[in-house]
Amino acid sequence: MFLNQLSTAGAKPALAAMFRFAGARQQSLAHNIANFDTPNFRPADADPRRFQAQLGEALDRRRARTGGAHGSLGIRASREVRQLASGDLEITPRTATGNVLFHDRNNRDLERMMQDMVENASMYRMVSDLMRRRSGQLGAAIGERVA
Amino acid sequence: MYGALDVSTSGMVAQRTRMATIAANIANSRTLLNSAGEYEPYRRRVAHFAPGDPSAGTKGGRRMGVHVREIEAVEDALRRRFDPSNPYADERGYVMVPDINTTTEQINAMQASRAYEANVVAAETSKTMMAQALRLLA
Repeated sequence: MFLNQLSTAGAKPALAAMFRFAGARQQSLAHNIANFDTPNFRPADADPRRFQAQLGEALDRRRARTGGAHGSLGIRASREVRQLASGDLEITPRTATGNVLFHDRNNRDLERMMQDMVENASMYRMVSDLMRRRSGQLGAAIGERVA
Repeated sequence: MYGALDVSTSGMVAQRTRMATIAANIANSRTLLNSAGEYEPYRRRVAHFAPGDPSAGTKGGRRMGVHVREIEAVEDALRRRFDPSNPYADERGYVMVPDINTTTEQINAMQASRAYEANVVAAETSKTMMAQALRLLA
């Protein structure tokens, strides 16, 4: 029980959800880049701002439910992101990210795709650093060490 | 995350195949005979891509990514050249030769090369993200 509270305390569930989202989004961004010159292909992405709004709502609900910053997050399904029973996130990219339509009926925008990928990787790195720091703090507390 | 690597790999494989097709077009821009030594001018090949990669190892990889659906030999990619001394010329002195514009092929090669690089960058990014995730365990 105590260990369970430790793993769902504070921002940890939100960090884990963001970590999963960025990991899953990387796959859809790689898919867009791989189909960069596939005729008729229309790139689509999952909107991170919309997911952050979903996450914010889930945190508000948790606060109302438990009265404090602990407990697991129940992220409500949207048209792009759905939480599975395992806690993993299933992403169905629907947000159009295209440019003007080219002669092969592909509306790619490579610069924007690469920018999105860099932003997503930065987000992933930031979240993973925060998670590592929190784990380190927990380890220090358990080991009765001063950080 | 491993699915993301599969997706980028499928992009690299597709672009490499396209590059091989372009290289074959340039190499055979003056080829008049087939491999059996018969008169059959080389026809320009074009690689057609389609989303999804049936050869991927993961479910995500099969649903996503890209693959070469077909390498088409363009039927009408021949032109007539006046060359009466050519042993394959017709009675009016014309011989059918491959209609391959090497400048166009070189531009296509540049595009394939850039697309390959974009996939390499995507794979590198996925790899870095995996390393980040593994650092959580250390």
